[in-house]
Amino acid sequence: MLEGFNFRVIWEYMPFFMEGLRNTFLISIVSLFLALIAGITACAGRLSPWKSVRGLAIVYIESIRSTPLLVQIYFLYFGLPTLGLRVPELQTGIIALMLNSGAYIAEIVRAGMTSVPNGQIEAGISSGLNYFQRMRFIILPQALGVTVPPLLGQAIVLVKDSALLSLISVLELTRVGQTLTSERFMPSEAFFTVAFFYLCIYFVLKTLADWSQKKLIFREAY
Amino acid sequence: MIKFNGVNKWFGKLHVLKDIDLHVTSGEVVVVCGPSGSGKSTLIRCINRLEKFQKGELFVDGTPLHDYSTNLTKLRAEIGFVFQQFHLYPHMTALQNVALAPINVRKMKRADAEALAHEKLDRVGLADKADAHPTQLSGGQQQRVAIARGLAMSPKIMLFDEPTSALDPEMIGEVLDVMVKLASEGMTMCVVTHEMGFARQVAHRVIFMDEGSLVETGNPHDFFANPQTDRAAQFISKILTH
Amino acid sequence: MMLFYFQRLIEIFPFFLKGLWMTAVVSGISLIMATIFGLLLGIARASKNKLLVGLIGAYVAAIRGTPFVVQIFIIFFILPEWGIQLDAFPAAILALTILGTAFICEIVAGGIKAVPRGQWEAASSSGLNLYQQLRYVIVPQSLQTILPPLVGQYVLLIKDSSVVSVIGVMDLTRVGWVTVNRIPEGLMVFTLVGILYFAISYPLIRLSNRLEKKMATQQVML
Repeated sequence: MLEGFNFRVIWEYMPFFMEGLRNTFLISIVSLFLALIAGITACAGRLSPWKSVRGLAIVYIESIRSTPLLVQIYFLYFGLPTLGLRVPELQTGIIALMLNSGAYIAEIVRAGMTSVPNGQIEAGISSGLNYFQRMRFIILPQALGVTVPPLLGQAIVLVKDSALLSLISVLELTRVGQTLTSERFMPSEAFFTVAFFYLCIYFVLKTLADWSQKKLIFREAY
Repeated sequence: MIKFNGVNKWFGKLHVLKDIDLHVTSGEVVVVCGPSGSGKSTLIRCINRLEKFQKGELFVDGTPLHDYSTNLTKLRAEIGFVFQQFHLYPHMTALQNVALAPINVRKMKRADAEALAHEKLDRVGLADKADAHPTQLSGGQQQRVAIARGLAMSPKIMLFDEPTSALDPEMIGEVLDVMVKLASEGMTMCVVTHEMGFARQVAHRVIFMDEGSLVETGNPHDFFANPQTDRAAQFISKILTH
Repeated sequence: MMLFYFQRLIEIFPFFLKGLWMTAVVSGISLIMATIFGLLLGIARASKNKLLVGLIGAYVAAIRGTPFVVQIFIIFFILPEWGIQLDAFPAAILALTILGTAFICEIVAGGIKAVPRGQWEAASSSGLNLYQQLRYVIVPQSLQTILPPLVGQYVLLIKDSSVVSVIGVMDLTRVGWVTVNRIPEGLMVFTLVGILYFAISYPLIRLSNRLEKKMATQQVML
């Protein structure tokens, strides 16, 4: 089945693939960073003592989790212009990825926080620490440790999700595959190469995630 | 200092505190005992409002706790609370555990707060464990760090919720010693405990609770020698034969 | 103007319901097939046959490590090169089934491995054959661990099905995409699409959460 697999054309397009790979990297890293901020904020809102803030956070988290990312991307891509906002495709895509992953990260962080025993929070209350101080000094430092492996899992999802930006013509790895397919009509060469690069990223992140999981289990046992 | 006026609390349908009237004066050491489920932990958790109650009045150092609009942060800072399960922060050293609230609630300079923390750790006999993490300490040591954490806020009242129940027998003594010392220095203390030796030695008053009610109260000598109610007598004979 | 478009949207609402039906059919068929194959492969993956375990592991990694949109392109563009012509509909079902099987097989394998060894030994000591051991002892016990993530996986599959719109399946997302070219109110159109996805996903998410509650998450007080 590999007969006629044209390595020459892959080689010829290699700089183009590299550009796509680099953009996939950049998009993922920027989005992940923004999503962390969005997620922690949303999670703080979700656990807030004020009902309206909590409600807002729940609406955000649940509406993101119940709808497909592609629909969210289209929502922003076709929707922002109707609001009179001219946002380039790349930025639109990053906002979509940020909002999407942010909701999942909020739930991951929340799970981490609920893993901090209630008694420690009571101890914080008893020494007169206020809500933000309890968050900052007691809950977050411990929650972050527990959340590292699932956050790396979310990073894997985010890298794969960024492939959907190709559908609003953001130049990243998958888009390079589409371009090669339409210019030369060589879909095998195009998409197997693309898949190969994604697999490489996947294995690196997966190894990291497994490793951090092991570290964590070790720490708990200790 | 602490004044309960007809306090009632329910967990759903369960009536856990029934018409509690109690007055603890400044410098007094009160031991609360009673069978498990009698409401004694709930009682002292009300004093810094880790538990809310539905009916009655409670004043602590003049602050009305039944008024939910009062900001409790300041009051809580002046009440030390020691838990059965210690609840030290595992990601911080002993020193950091003690210094956290002084830095953030009292807004002390880090250096001052750490000096204070060293002093308090010294007071509970753990000067050399300042840089240890909770997992590296024995249960008795952890509980002493927890006491130091409470003391670091120079509290007017110290509350102890079964501070020795989670400890191995050989570690109970070291914790009680610290508490005895504290009592002799004139601290106002409410202690939920079954350590009758401690009660005899330092308590000014022993309170016996059962099924949410304050059944009997008296000085330790009379209480142990001559309980007024059957329920108290039964309870005493049970723990003394242990 | 907005009101005018809103009325137009109401007029073509049946079109959206057709899209919703297509989404339900595509994901429904796929998730039934993925459950069957996932169960079989999951049992095999929990076995001691190294070759089998390795092969399934490679398949799972290939699917988990690459974006679904790339998988769809491979199936839709590359199978014809090997002489397998597929319409968009069967291609979509094939792609979703392959995707779902990979994830479900991991869930099932995890659940089976969570059953203590002693249960296998007890079952085989009472003379049950392998099928009977699985059928009466192992699988019923692992259902508890399997069920919540399985329902969660169904939600993911339904959401992933939106991606099959790119090869022309007239599902809910595709309907939104077609509509937005005629009614240029992106926010309105994709809000409607989002609501319809929400209507099928959210009950399943709630179900998954309910099933998970068995793990007795403690209520936190911050």
